[in-house]
Amino acid sequence: MSHDAEPQGALTVVANLDLCQGHARCEDLCPQVFATDAVEGKVVVANPTFPPELEEKVRLAVRNCPEGALRISRQRPADVDSASKGTGA
Amino acid sequence: MTLHFQPPAPDHVPADRIVDFDFFKIPDGVSDPAEIWHDLVRRGVPKIFYTPRNGGHWVFLDYADIVEGYRNYSIFSTYQTPIPPIEPFPVVQPQGVDPPEHKVFRSLLAPMFTPVAVRGMTAEIQRRAIALIEGFADTGECDFITQYAERFPTALFLYLFGLAESRLDEFLDLANVFFRSTDPDARSKNIVEIYAVLDALFHEKQAHPGSDIASAVVTSRGAQGQPHDWTDILNCGFLLFVAGLDTVTNTMAYIWRYLATNQDAQQHFRDRLDDPDAFLLAIEELMRINAVSNIYRRVTHDCDYKGVRLRQNDRVILSNTLANRDPKVFDRPDVIDLDRAVNVHVTFGVGPHRCVGSHLAKRQVMVSMQEWLKRIPRFELAADQPEHSVFGGSVMGFTGLKLRW
Repeated sequence: MSHDAEPQGALTVVANLDLCQGHARCEDLCPQVFATDAVEGKVVVANPTFPPELEEKVRLAVRNCPEGALRISRQRPADVDSASKGTGA
Repeated sequence: MTLHFQPPAPDHVPADRIVDFDFFKIPDGVSDPAEIWHDLVRRGVPKIFYTPRNGGHWVFLDYADIVEGYRNYSIFSTYQTPIPPIEPFPVVQPQGVDPPEHKVFRSLLAPMFTPVAVRGMTAEIQRRAIALIEGFADTGECDFITQYAERFPTALFLYLFGLAESRLDEFLDLANVFFRSTDPDARSKNIVEIYAVLDALFHEKQAHPGSDIASAVVTSRGAQGQPHDWTDILNCGFLLFVAGLDTVTNTMAYIWRYLATNQDAQQHFRDRLDDPDAFLLAIEELMRINAVSNIYRRVTHDCDYKGVRLRQNDRVILSNTLANRDPKVFDRPDVIDLDRAVNVHVTFGVGPHRCVGSHLAKRQVMVSMQEWLKRIPRFELAADQPEHSVFGGSVMGFTGLKLRW
């Protein structure tokens, strides 16, 4: 499966710490990707790029954030290419 | 509801936004106090309405407006909010202070209640749950409120605050007046009593600091190394007192009442005693459906909010149970789905004042339920339930809940 996913680029999840209020729903739902710090209790995304087999759990964690503080994006090799071309021109 | 006397509404409120609604009053025959809120939705009253009861206040019905009330502190302040108004009222730390000033005490409390910190308390929570449950497990019955739901969080609070457990009844009485009384004289006297208790406690902890939360608060220092203002310390203790006792008690009461009347749900949890992730997911659903708190805000300045004129010092109630059953946000909101996958409930609020003790509260509920189900067989409501045992207000709940097994 991971071989099929690779050409699409890796999935990454990003946390907005200004929005995060430390509900820790993400940590409860997917501790493989999300933790919380010991000072404010806010999210710590140890590995923003997660393996495809965790995609469903990460998406659930994102949808369960009461603050909408998490976003998933897919890094597309094509995007990187066109961006660098644009810069060159 | 029949009107005998309706106090006048202020002149900035149009007649078509006025609804007669007293959130302290639970009519005879209503067995779940949350129903008075959901009844408003069923009646089709305006999504933003004003009631002249209890000093007058607005009510928001929609999830979107309730979360706006939580997040938009430029309009909806937490400063001196009680309904009906109590003047003077303490500036509760940090809950009664708007950002960014609330950061001072929020930053002081936050580390003591993070998931990491709560994991460290779990063994003590478990030990206490087991001891309390084993005290009555063999009798085949209990009054869940007085024998468990009141005692458990209050005793844990005393422990976390470094107070003697012999003071349990004194603290239960103080909390009951604070949350249940609508008599202005009793409420003012009650607050004075609570502050006297906190003043003595913090003085003792200042002289003899321990490893408890009260000691951490009283010995903490501000950004420049200065001691905190004594009034702020008292007001922080006040917050922990009023926020940590009654809410957990009544959340537990609601949940155990549900389990006692729904054997399938009881079995659902029994079947997941070895699967904490699924157990917690189901608890989140019970947290959504059993949201006991109705939260107050105060309008900071005259303004328009979605076409509604608000006046400075108007009070607003954000009812979590209403937000949690908004069909625009929740799929089949009135169905209790213990496997519900997406559940953005606001039982602990959202925004900068998200309940700092939410992880401790949830852990108390989860551990209590796990240890209960391991020791108590199939249980149900006893036939002789106490009469008039429901109450409304800022925290809704039950004064009695007899269970048998």
